Amino acid sequence: MGNKDLKVSVIVPVYNGERYLVRCMDSIVGQTLKETEIICVDDGSSDRSPEILDEYVRLDNRVRLISQRNAGAGAARNRGFSEAKGEYLSFLDADDFFEPDMLERAYRKAKEQKAQILVFGSDQYRSDLEEFHHVDWTIRKHALPPYRPMNYRTFTENVFKVFVGWTWDKLFEREFVLKHGFKFQEQRTSNDLLFVFSALVLAERIEVEEAVLAHQRRDNPESLSHTREKSWQCFYHALTALRENLVRYGLYYELEQDFINYALHFSLWNYKTIQGGKKKELYRMLKRKWFRELGIAGRGKEYFYNKGEYEEYREIMKRQNLAEK
Amino acid sequence: MIKVSIVIPVYNVQEYLTECMESVIGQTLKEIEIICVNDGSTDGSPEILERFAARDKRIVVLHRENGGYGCAVNEGMKRAAGEYVGIVEPDDYVPPDMYQDLYRTAKEYELDFVKADFYRFTTGADGEREFVYNHLSQKPVDYNRVFTPARCPDALRFVMNTWSGIYRREFLEEHNIRHHETPGASFQDNGFWIQTFIYGGRAMIIDRPYYRNRRDNPASSVNSREKVYCINIEYDYIRGILTKNPDIWERFKYMYWFKKYHNYMGTLWRIGEEYRREYVVRFSEELRRGMALGEIKRDVFSDLAWSHIQGMAEDPERYYVCRVYAKGADERLFERINELELKNQKLKDELAKVRGSKSFRLGRLLLYLPGKFKKLIRGKM
Repeated sequence: MGNKDLKVSVIVPVYNGERYLVRCMDSIVGQTLKETEIICVDDGSSDRSPEILDEYVRLDNRVRLISQRNAGAGAARNRGFSEAKGEYLSFLDADDFFEPDMLERAYRKAKEQKAQILVFGSDQYRSDLEEFHHVDWTIRKHALPPYRPMNYRTFTENVFKVFVGWTWDKLFEREFVLKHGFKFQEQRTSNDLLFVFSALVLAERIEVEEAVLAHQRRDNPESLSHTREKSWQCFYHALTALRENLVRYGLYYELEQDFINYALHFSLWNYKTIQGGKKKELYRMLKRKWFRELGIAGRGKEYFYNKGEYEEYREIMKRQNLAEK
Repeated sequence: MIKVSIVIPVYNVQEYLTECMESVIGQTLKEIEIICVNDGSTDGSPEILERFAARDKRIVVLHRENGGYGCAVNEGMKRAAGEYVGIVEPDDYVPPDMYQDLYRTAKEYELDFVKADFYRFTTGADGEREFVYNHLSQKPVDYNRVFTPARCPDALRFVMNTWSGIYRREFLEEHNIRHHETPGASFQDNGFWIQTFIYGGRAMIIDRPYYRNRRDNPASSVNSREKVYCINIEYDYIRGILTKNPDIWERFKYMYWFKKYHNYMGTLWRIGEEYRREYVVRFSEELRRGMALGEIKRDVFSDLAWSHIQGMAEDPERYYVCRVYAKGADERLFERINELELKNQKLKDELAKVRGSKSFRLGRLLLYLPGKFKKLIRGKM
């Protein structure tokens, strides 16, 4: 198959994912859209993931395996993307699984509207309960315009909350990504936020396919919280890098209020979902430095869209004063 | 030296084009060029243009594939070499002294642009035209004095049009003031108009009427989804221009919303009824977003407008039912009454026709006679 016919490049970073990898890979190679290449990047797994992937490479000539020393999913995605040749890029995660016609439907819709970014519907698969949970916040339908072309300026809600800052429920036009040189941050977590939101604010044509096409695997949310033990600062670096890009694009002035509101939201989420020894450290950093450096401190209540989040922020700041006494 | 370049974007206007062209070539200001951009017309417009071009060397005709109003005007302006630039729509016309007077004023006061009052006209069934004088501003003090639009956000209250004046070409070029080029869209003059104001250094409006704007078909309703939201797309585009410069945005954001609100309202009543609910819902979303961002200011609006804004922002469904659907309901009721009356008349006519027919009269006679006999018999008994 010539490169011209390659409709979608699927990039899957894999790190010690043997438990769910087969279900994930089966649902990728089994896609009804056949004009794809599947680039798996093994990020130095120490489990059986490489062997499983080798098997797929052997059985399906569209599948390729790149191996790298453990450097995180961001680096793995950059690596995979640098070798991609498809018209659109799909960055999937190795523990999720997908409807068989996901790529076909997403690609069709994207082509129809010449979209630079296409976002499709998804739900959550709670593996502890073996249940699918409907979610309505991955695409905020009421904030989207009934007309086209759709871009961030047509959103009627915080631009950074209309979609989620992850990649796996989106297609990105490769030309568009190359033109602006979007990159994943090479850090352990929150490495995709910069990529997604940079693309989001520069895209002139965004499209949505509302059908639920992907299932995100979620374990019991309680058990998630230790994964960021080593990477508790990543979200802050993602936010400041995003702000730098917004400034560079000349959009920071217009998007400042959205950015700051999002920064508060994301900081609080990180704070609330982290457990263990680093929670205290994060707490201290937010109070002493980060809330100020993110532009959150010193704003009046009216500046914040979500008053509850503002109160949580006030609470954190107040307790600091008490602690210092 | 060319004093004024006149750009005429032409798309399927053969009925009106001759009058328009005659009025432009007949200007008392002779140092003009006339740039006609045929935007892929499919009627006799191109031939008319070529005929005029053969007659008058000052006319340039550009032919292009249809790309919409904005593209056509931009292309014409790109070719303009005059000191000032004006736009004439091909179904309108201008009085002979328009460009001479405007040019003289512009030069005398060294203006970036000058605009004048104008007439709108309609044509009656007898071909008689009715002219209505239109003021750019309701305030006499706004006229005949140099002002700085960039410092006067309130000037956005002036009536929006791009054709009643002329613009210094270098001013347009310096600020890259152009029309939005979305294919097939309309309202692209809004963006151009606002840009001339936010960047304008020296401008004047004069209280004499020149331009003649045709309003034969003002109620032409908008009936496709793409057309319904053209104005939204234009105001998204305008927002992008204004927010590029924080000073400009801070100064003009309230008036931006004033203009946007009134344009959206106009659209709401022009679109087909089947689109109105959805339009109100979107309008409401945009209003709430504008309010959250502190871009909408009470003082800018009249009490009436403000009550609409609040109503729509708070509860679009209720607003739609009470203030849009209900208003449309009167019209629908009248229409229904008319319809039924017409139907009633038709049935009456038919009935009369039947009653008047020979077979009906014969039948009635046949039914009438046996009855008479019965009565007769009954009477005897």
